[in-house]
Amino acid sequence: MILTWVYWAITVFVIVLVVRSLYREKSLREQFVAAMVLVPLLLRVLFIK
Amino acid sequence: MFEKRYLASRFSATLLLLGAVAVAAISAHSYLRMHHPGPDVDRVVPREGFVHKRLSDYFQGLQDTPADTDVYVQEGEQPGGTLLVLGGTHANEPAGVVAAVVLLENADVKRGRLIIAPYANLMARTHTFPQDAHPQTFGFETSGGVRRTFRYGARTTNPVNEWPNPDIYIHPASGQTMAGVERSNLNRAHPGVADGGMTEQLAYGFMQLIKQEDVDLAIDLHEASPEYPVVDALVAHERAMELAAMVTMELEFEGIPIRLEPSPKNLRGLSHREWGDQTDVLAILMETCNASAGRFRGRTGEALVLTGEDKAYDKAAELGRLYVPWESWDKRIAERVGRHVTSVKLLAENLEFVRDDAGIVIEGLPAYTSLSEEGVGAYLRD
Repeated sequence: MILTWVYWAITVFVIVLVVRSLYREKSLREQFVAAMVLVPLLLRVLFIK
Repeated sequence: MFEKRYLASRFSATLLLLGAVAVAAISAHSYLRMHHPGPDVDRVVPREGFVHKRLSDYFQGLQDTPADTDVYVQEGEQPGGTLLVLGGTHANEPAGVVAAVVLLENADVKRGRLIIAPYANLMARTHTFPQDAHPQTFGFETSGGVRRTFRYGARTTNPVNEWPNPDIYIHPASGQTMAGVERSNLNRAHPGVADGGMTEQLAYGFMQLIKQEDVDLAIDLHEASPEYPVVDALVAHERAMELAAMVTMELEFEGIPIRLEPSPKNLRGLSHREWGDQTDVLAILMETCNASAGRFRGRTGEALVLTGEDKAYDKAAELGRLYVPWESWDKRIAERVGRHVTSVKLLAENLEFVRDDAGIVIEGLPAYTSLSEEGVGAYLRD
């Protein structure tokens, strides 16, 4: 159970990094990729999927 | 001041972020429907005489956890043996689940006891595997015109209940190493661990049920892909082999081709191995042919679940890659459920020949031909 929350914290951290990357990226294509990456991370951090 | 290009990028980033949140919200709504499907999905209407219990009645550690599941017990007027039937160990093997429900809704036990857990791993019923494109539900229409809907789940426990899986799973009872995902596979978790992961605790619950109810015969209902060598088969622990051999012959006499496979001694964690090794029970696993979970399949939907017809498998059969005579094979779920129900009935009837005073008599079950011809819906209640 502790490991689950460690992974949850890592996922939150990765979400922050991806959102940061989304805003720092100048290429629309790379922004789109970052947005796609966010979807499963959001679902996982909410314990939905 | 921001450059124009940067402003544009920031604007598009915000739009894309909102888009990602919207897609996540739509997906979340769809996934949550699997968690809370409503009262009409996976509904069962047990035949009169069944007593409702929970697996946590046998192992309290499961109480208020997502692993706790329904268990139904019916006792006949005459004393005899005790039969346990598990459906839904793997939630993506629909005939195993539906056969358990058909047993639950039709069985009239005259001698001995029948215990049924139709949805053995509820945690596997709340998701489907990514990129497998499986339908979330499938269903049947009863004689009264009511649609009975069942969830099509996954082989393993939902990661939200048990996360993360290790890179390598070490089976606690044997020390055998397996792929990490097998930690979430109920049929690799037996005999279970009281304080292990959720799937291991679930397996431990079933082991406690077998011990406390003094089960004589335990049957785990499964399905396998047509390209898997063990398909349309009974897999028996060595102590159950005599019983399984008798029933195999009876099934062949009834025109139901079936294989008989010995439970491999060196594959650990499986129900037929661990139940048989750890207790006095005669342990048997049954497999029917399920194209909807196979790797060769093409278009995947409710039709494939119900009919088993698939062009890609037709091609695979032409190339000789399958373990069933595909062209002449009846692949419909009605046939697969009929095969399971008939096998359970024959195993119960023959139990007294291998174990004294453990006879079980179950009436009310549909015959193989009736199920195959009239369909599953005819044997589900409104």
